[in-house]
Amino acid sequence: MSNAERSYNQALQALREKDYYAAEGFFKSAENQFAENDEFRILYESTKLLLAVKEEISELENERVLG
Amino acid sequence: MSRLTTLKELEAKLEGFLEGASAVHEEKLNRFESVHTLEQIAIDSLRGRFVNNRLGHWLDKNRLPLDDKKFDSEEITQIANFLDDIKKGLDPTDTDSQDLTREIEGLREKGVVPKRKFVLTIRRKPEGGELLQKFKDVLALEKELLESGEFENDHMLSILDDVLKSAEFKTDSMYMHLAGSMIYFLKMNGYKVTPFVKRLKEIEEKRLDGAKNV
Repeated sequence: MSNAERSYNQALQALREKDYYAAEGFFKSAENQFAENDEFRILYESTKLLLAVKEEISELENERVLG
Repeated sequence: MSRLTTLKELEAKLEGFLEGASAVHEEKLNRFESVHTLEQIAIDSLRGRFVNNRLGHWLDKNRLPLDDKKFDSEEITQIANFLDDIKKGLDPTDTDSQDLTREIEGLREKGVVPKRKFVLTIRRKPEGGELLQKFKDVLALEKELLESGEFENDHMLSILDDVLKSAEFKTDSMYMHLAGSMIYFLKMNGYKVTPFVKRLKEIEEKRLDGAKNV
């Protein structure tokens, strides 16, 4: 198993455990080998989008709580 | 609908999607975890650590999937190579190890045969969170050793004596750490530990001299 394949599997494991930051890191490590793989791209982009959404939610909630 | 509510709905939908997508790979991930666990056992075995319990658990969990040929050919080769490495580190005079060796040989007869040699490498020096994880792993291994049954009903001083002997003759630094930890615990409980401290220091000096000579 190549390092990229291992990273892809680790990313899927991290998704299963809802550790999205770790998943993004593993996807990034696997990117070179799987850049053309549709499933990989969808999962990687969705993870990045989810992290961006979480960050924005956190900012809005901070504004609401702290004024 | 407020922006926050919309974002929270999007968050829930994305999480649901990613959960479903990873669930599609459930079987593959379980197999990946099994192979990865065995790899860790093989690495620890090559470092001279006691792996019988973990190997026994691994075999219990994976006997059926191996019999049912759930693993693909590449995974089987990896498993066979790791088992081959582990088998070399088992103590041939110990009954449990003999049983495990027999089981590994039984798997070989079922087609779990090593084909090419993997080179297991010791990983780079860990940092930050990885270091803490490594520390927790060492503590877990020490606990496993103490609960292995090898020291059943022994006094802690007698166990410490055995651990110091292992620290002297084995390369695994876990025994040094365990000895140091036991000495400190005994001291906290009012025992005289000076002779043990002296022995530990001597072992450490020998190791340092050995490292310099290398």
